[in-house]
Amino acid sequence: MPHVLPKIGSADLTIDEVAARLASEFGGDLVDVRVQEPDTVVARLDRADLKQVARRLRELPEIAYEMLNFVAAVDWLTHLESVYHLYSFAGNTYLELHVEVPRVEPELETVSDVWPSAEWHEREAWDMMGIRFHGHPDLRRILLKDDFVGHPLRKDYVDLVENHPNA
Amino acid sequence: MPSRFETEAPDAAMQLALDRVRASEEAGRGSDMQGLGFNQVVVNMGPQHPSTHGVLRLVVTLDGELVKDVIPVIGYLHRCKEKLAEKRTYYQYIPIVDRTEYLASMNCEWGYVMTVEKLAGIQPTRRAEFIRVIMAELMRIASHQVALGTFTADLAPLGTALVFYMFRDREKILDLLEEASGARMMFNYFRFGGVRYDLPDGWVEKCRELMARMPRLIDEYESLVKDNAVFLQRCIGKGVITQQDVADYGITGPNARASGVPLDLRRTRPYSVYPELDFDVRLGEHGDVYDRYQVRMDEMRESVRIVGQCLDMLPAGPVQAGTLRAPYVIAPPPGECYIGQENPRGEYGTYIVSDGSRYPYRLKYRDPCFCNLQIFPKLLRGNKIADAVAISGSMDMVLGGIDR
Amino acid sequence: MADLILAIVRIAAAVGIAYAVVFVAALVNILFERRGLAVMQDRLGPNRTGPQGILQSVADSFKMMGKEDFAPTAADKVVFTLAPILVMVGAVAVQVVIPYTSGCVGQDLNVGLIYIVAITSFTVLAILLGGWASHNKYSLVGALRSAAQMVSYEVPMILGLLVVAMAVGSLSLNNVVDAQAGGRWLVFYLPFTFLIFYIASIAELNRGPFDLPESESELVAGYGTEYSGMRFGMFFLNEYAGMTIMSMITVTLFFGGWRGPWDGAVEVGGVYLVPIVWFLVKTHLLVFALIWIRLSVPRLQVDQLMGFAWKVLIPLGLFNIMASAAVMLWAPRWRIGMAVFQWIALLLFVGLFDRLQRWNLERRRQKVAVPG
Repeated sequence: MPHVLPKIGSADLTIDEVAARLASEFGGDLVDVRVQEPDTVVARLDRADLKQVARRLRELPEIAYEMLNFVAAVDWLTHLESVYHLYSFAGNTYLELHVEVPRVEPELETVSDVWPSAEWHEREAWDMMGIRFHGHPDLRRILLKDDFVGHPLRKDYVDLVENHPNA
Repeated sequence: MPSRFETEAPDAAMQLALDRVRASEEAGRGSDMQGLGFNQVVVNMGPQHPSTHGVLRLVVTLDGELVKDVIPVIGYLHRCKEKLAEKRTYYQYIPIVDRTEYLASMNCEWGYVMTVEKLAGIQPTRRAEFIRVIMAELMRIASHQVALGTFTADLAPLGTALVFYMFRDREKILDLLEEASGARMMFNYFRFGGVRYDLPDGWVEKCRELMARMPRLIDEYESLVKDNAVFLQRCIGKGVITQQDVADYGITGPNARASGVPLDLRRTRPYSVYPELDFDVRLGEHGDVYDRYQVRMDEMRESVRIVGQCLDMLPAGPVQAGTLRAPYVIAPPPGECYIGQENPRGEYGTYIVSDGSRYPYRLKYRDPCFCNLQIFPKLLRGNKIADAVAISGSMDMVLGGIDR
Repeated sequence: MADLILAIVRIAAAVGIAYAVVFVAALVNILFERRGLAVMQDRLGPNRTGPQGILQSVADSFKMMGKEDFAPTAADKVVFTLAPILVMVGAVAVQVVIPYTSGCVGQDLNVGLIYIVAITSFTVLAILLGGWASHNKYSLVGALRSAAQMVSYEVPMILGLLVVAMAVGSLSLNNVVDAQAGGRWLVFYLPFTFLIFYIASIAELNRGPFDLPESESELVAGYGTEYSGMRFGMFFLNEYAGMTIMSMITVTLFFGGWRGPWDGAVEVGGVYLVPIVWFLVKTHLLVFALIWIRLSVPRLQVDQLMGFAWKVLIPLGLFNIMASAAVMLWAPRWRIGMAVFQWIALLLFVGLFDRLQRWNLERRRQKVAVPG
C-alpha cells in the first residue's frame, strides 16, 4: 500500500503549540526554539545530534516533518552554518534548523538517507561552501565544473585564474 | 573508453555512469538483448538537445531502448547569482532575480521582494497587492502555455499546431505585461512596498477583454489533444510520482498536485490578498504525465478566474508604499527570513540573511525545478526513451532556476 | 538498327519522364507541406524564394547538391552509394502501371496490383541497405525498426488491395478505374477497406503519426545519419515522392482514378488532357490529407505502432476479406451488399475503437493509481 501523505494541516496545532511540542520532544537537542511568524519554528542544533534528530523529526507522530525544502549554507566569518528548512504536512508549519559547523573541518552527517532531496542540496553546499557531508552517496560538484578549485560562496574566496582550469 | 564520437575523456558524470555500467555488468546484470550484442551504452543527451528544455545534460544509460539510469548534469547556466547578491544592494538585485525562472519572472520577483519586505518591515499598498496578484497570475498562464506547448511539441515535433496556438496567445499576455512594465520577459517591475508603475490607462479593459476570451482559447487547446487516443496512450500511466516521492524529493507545484497532494502555497501559506480571492486548487489523482498536463490546463482556468476577480476588486490608491528615493537603499535590520510563494513550477522563495548592511549577507534560492529535477533518475528508469522525453517534458524544467 | 535505337530512346524517355514526375512531385510536395503546415500552425511558411516561395525546393536541392560528399571510412562503399539510388526505384517503377488518363498507362499489366505491392517493397530494401552500409550500430537498429514497421504494415495494405481486386474482379489497374465509371467510386462501396488501406499506407510511407524512424534521429541514430548532402537528399525526396505515388495509387483504387466530369473534352494526339487534371487534383487533395494528419496526431511509439499493426489492422483486414468474400458469394448484387456491410463495419470500428482504447487506458491507469 503506497504511503499517503497526511492531510495538510490535519494536526490543527497553532505555531506556538508546535514549538512547545518540539521543545518538549527534543529537550536538550534543540536549542533556542523560537517562533518566527507566521508559521516557522526556528531552532539551533548541535552537529553531533543532527542525524538522529533528523530521523526522529521525519517520524514524529502527528507533525512529522516529511519534506525538506532546502539546505542552505551560510558563512559566518567565524564558522559556517548549515540551515535545514523542513515542512510538515500535518502541521502545515515549517522548521528551520541551524547547525553550526567549524571552519577548520567543515564536516557534517548527511541527511540524504532521511530526506532524499537533501542529496543535491548538500552537493550544492559542498560545491559552494565546502561543507563535507559524511555518508553522502555522491558528493561531487553540481553547479561548477568538476575541476574547479575553491568554494566560491565563502567570504574569503578570491577568484583567481587558477581556480578555473580549462575555463 | 571514449566512443568514436567523443574526442576527450569522459568527465565526472560520464565516468560515474560508465562505472555504474561496469559495476552492474560485473555483477552479472548485463543486457537483456544479448542476441543483438547490445550492452548497456552510455549516451550523452545535451546540453544542447531539442528534447531537453534548456541546457540540461542527461547522461543516459541505455539498454537497447530502455533507460537504465539517468544522471542529470546541471550547471551550464550557472551565473553565480547567490554570490552576486552579496555585492549588490537589495534594490539593485531585483533585475537579477528576474532571470532565475525567466518564464515566470513576475513570480520570481515577488518571491524575493516579499522576503525583503518581511525583513525590512515594509507593508505594500493594497492596490499594489492586487496588481501583484494580477501580474503573477497572468505570468502563470503564460508560463503554463510554454510548458504545455513544449510538452506537446515533444510528443510530435512540429507535428502538432498546439505549441503555435499557445505561443500566439502568450504574445497577447506578454503585450499586456509589456504595457504595464515596459519589458516582455525580465520585467523589473516589483519594488519593496509595491510595484514600479501603475497600470496604464485602458489596461484594465484590455486585460478584462483578454480574460473574457481566454477560457475559450483554453478550451481550444484542450480540444486539440484531449480526445487524441495517441496522445492519451503516450501519457496515461507513465511517469507516476507517488505521494511518498513528493515528500521525499520536495516536489511542489503542479507536479505535486497532480499526485493528489493539495500543496498550493496560495492556500496552505496564504500571502498577499489570496485569502480574499475565490479559486480552487486543482488536483490530479494518479500523478502520471496526463495528470500533470491536466492540472496545468486547469490551473490556467483558475488563473483566469483570479485575474477577473482582482480586476473587479482593484482599489484606487498609490502603488508604492512610502517614498523610496535615490539612492534607493534599504538596510533591513539583522535577521533572516524565508518566504516561499507559488511559482508556476512549485515553491519558489529566497532565504535571505541580513546583517544590517545594505547588501544581503547571504541569499539562497529555493528553486522548485532544482528539487523537481532530483526525481528524474527514479522517474525515467525502466521507461523507453520516447517515454522519457514525454515525462521530462511534463515536469516543466527551467534551467535558469536550477542553475541560478 | 533504327528500331533498336528508337526503342532505346523511347525507354530512356519513359524512364526520364518517370523520374521527372517523381522529382517534381517530391519538390512540389516539400513546398506544399511546408506552406500547408505553416497555415495550420498560424504562421507563414517559406515565401521568399520566388513568388510565394515556389522556388524554395529548387534552392534546397541546389544547396544539398553543393554539400560535401562524405562517407564514413568504415562504410561499405558500394552499398553506401547504392542505397540512396535504390530508394527511388520503388516510386519510379510503380508509375508503369498507374493510369494517368484514359487509355494512357505505361503497361497495362494484368497483375498491376501485385506489381505495385512488389515494387513498393524496394524502399524497405534500400533502407536496410542504407542502415547496414553506415557501419553504425544505431543506424542499423533504426533501419531494422523502420523495415519492421514497413513490412508489418504491408500486410493490411495487401489485404485491402485484395478486397478491391475481389470487388472489381481483376488485378489490372485499368480495370479498377473502369469499374469506377459514372461516379461510382470504390470509396463509397468499400469505406472500411479504404480506411484499413489508408492507415496502412501512411505507415508504409513512414509519415504522419508513424514517423518513428525519423524521430529516432533525435537520440538514437536513424538510418540516414551517416548520409549527407545529396545522398541524404535522395532519402528525403523519396519520402515526399512516396507521398505522391501512394496518393496516386489510392486515388486510382478508391477515388475513381482519372475519372471526372468533362473527360473527353480536350484531346491532344489521342491523349485526353482533362482526366490528367482530375487525377492530379485528387492526388494532391489526398497529399494534403496526409499533411493534415501529420499535424494533428502525435507520434506513435514503436510498441504502439507494431501493436496497432498486428493486433488491430491485420485482424480487421482478415475479417474484412472473409466477410467481403462471403458477401460477394451470397449477395445478389455485390455493390449494394458490400456497401451495406462496409459502412456498418466502418461505423462500428470508428465508434467502438476509441471507446475500447479509452477503457484499456483507464484500466492501465487504475493499476498505477496513487491513492489520496
